[in-house]
Amino acid sequence: MVNEGDFVAIFNSIHRVMKAEALLKGRSVPMLLIPAPRNISADCGLAIRYAATDRETLESLLAEAGLIPESIYVKLDGKYVKAGARG
Amino acid sequence: MKTIDCRNMACPLPVVTVKRALAEAPGEALQVLLDGGAPRENVTRFAVNRGFAVTETLVEGGVALEITGEATPAKAVIGRPVGPTVMLIASDRLGDGPEELGRLLMKNFVITLLELERLPDRILFVNSGVLLATDGSEVVEALEKLGDLGVEIFSCGICLDYFHRRNKLRVGEITNMFSIAESLLAAGLVVRV
Repeated sequence: MVNEGDFVAIFNSIHRVMKAEALLKGRSVPMLLIPAPRNISADCGLAIRYAATDRETLESLLAEAGLIPESIYVKLDGKYVKAGARG
Repeated sequence: MKTIDCRNMACPLPVVTVKRALAEAPGEALQVLLDGGAPRENVTRFAVNRGFAVTETLVEGGVALEITGEATPAKAVIGRPVGPTVMLIASDRLGDGPEELGRLLMKNFVITLLELERLPDRILFVNSGVLLATDGSEVVEALEKLGDLGVEIFSCGICLDYFHRRNKLRVGEITNMFSIAESLLAAGLVVRV
């Protein structure tokens, strides 16, 4: 479900992830709520998948709403690596 | 070779008729005359799923299917149930409780299936479960991927009609209660979600 170059924001609280989903859907930002990939989260967390092109908009909206994700990864060469700061 | 004419029969009558004819004369070739479209697809699927060989020829007013061979008996493997694993998804929500949580859990469940090694052979959507396979569902992409991995996906036609979604089906095929009931009873394992 996660394509090469996609970003994955991990949330470890069901309430925060649901708020984030509602906010982003309300603003029509393309994203999909997915189960956190097994190899990047030990607990049963949820994640939001989005494309690199939507990163700026999506992460700014989350930050404004005080819904900063637990961590953000990007899929590169089939592996999840921690995403650096937005450029 | 015996010939039966199932043209102008409404679903699921063609499948029922063919099933009876095959049971009455095991091992004998059977020719079935059918209308194109759903009856042709349903009868072909029915016969192929049971291990018969099907040859199709176009005839006036439809198709003629020649069904030969014998039904394959199910083989027992120790530790595994005999027959296909069928998942029945009867709601667009997983479990009782708050609606938004149920929807989220169902979405999460379907996407999680992709991560598993052992997949169901077939997923049947009934009642509001059919909404998951139609326009606007967030699991269409995941269901398409499951389809590519060989999982058969069917949605109940009555249910699609009820929700006015028959022409909004995005993934899998439309099926009827006969096939659903038969699929459940022929299954080695039914997982009801």
